[in-house]
Amino acid sequence: MRPRFLLALFVSLPLVALAAPRGDETSARAALAARFDAALRADVPALEKLLADDLEYCGVRATCSTKAQYLESVRSGTRKFRSLKPEIERVTMYADSAVLTGKVYSVSIIDGAERNVDAYFLVVLAWRDGRWQMTNQSSTSLEAKPKT
Amino acid sequence: MRRFVAFAAVFAVATMVSAASFAKEDTREAALRSAEMSRFEAQVNADAKALDRLLDSDLEYVHSNGDFDTKASFIESLVNGKRDYIASTANIQGVRILGDVAIIRGTARVTVADNGQSRDLDLGYTDIWVWKDKRWQMTAWRSARMPPPATK
Repeated sequence: MRPRFLLALFVSLPLVALAAPRGDETSARAALAARFDAALRADVPALEKLLADDLEYCGVRATCSTKAQYLESVRSGTRKFRSLKPEIERVTMYADSAVLTGKVYSVSIIDGAERNVDAYFLVVLAWRDGRWQMTNQSSTSLEAKPKT
Repeated sequence: MRRFVAFAAVFAVATMVSAASFAKEDTREAALRSAEMSRFEAQVNADAKALDRLLDSDLEYVHSNGDFDTKASFIESLVNGKRDYIASTANIQGVRILGDVAIIRGTARVTVADNGQSRDLDLGYTDIWVWKDKRWQMTAWRSARMPPPATK
């Protein structure tokens, strides 16, 4: 009886996985919008949930942060925004991930001074633990364009 | 005895499936790294045929200066000489495969021809590859100029 049970379990597990609810494009867009909103509000508990443990966050200055480093910068106020307006232009869905691209227009506060930082973003969301988690964000500055 | 044999059979199949899966991932990562290096080389050689296979039809290529290219416009710019990569040296810093999507993070020194002179660009980059038609194809590229090293 037991081997039969194990065999049934072995065969049915992939089917159960296939039947599990997956994130769709609407929920991927919502997760990214929530991520930008949490960054604007410096909401660390929300970011904890929205960011994957293996996050790579690469900014317009070509430096990359881990999740811990990113959260610490929000907590300490090093990373602070006056405004943050994302425009999600393309969402491509894959089996367990989504790739989102677009532009973000922001006013950041650095050492008390405001600075416009506008960028192309590239985001990868991974579907884990029944929710979207951002595992990579990489940006290229739009400001660089007129210089070349 | 029969129960033991059945259990062992299930265990063996599970182990084989798991081992095959790991081996497949190793092979796919090796193929991905190779595709990345081939792509840098194809850009320097303006090899449209190679790039046609290595780049996804939905490619979004954002240059470090904020210029945006599709697959067609990127290949065209290399073939007609609008963009002229003289050399490139890439250093892959991280590879992650999430099913049919892969993220590569790295740095690159790209030498470009600019008004008759060569210019070095030091970049931090992320590119996204997708597994389509049994091969990796790059679907997105973002890069940023690394600040020059501090001078004393």
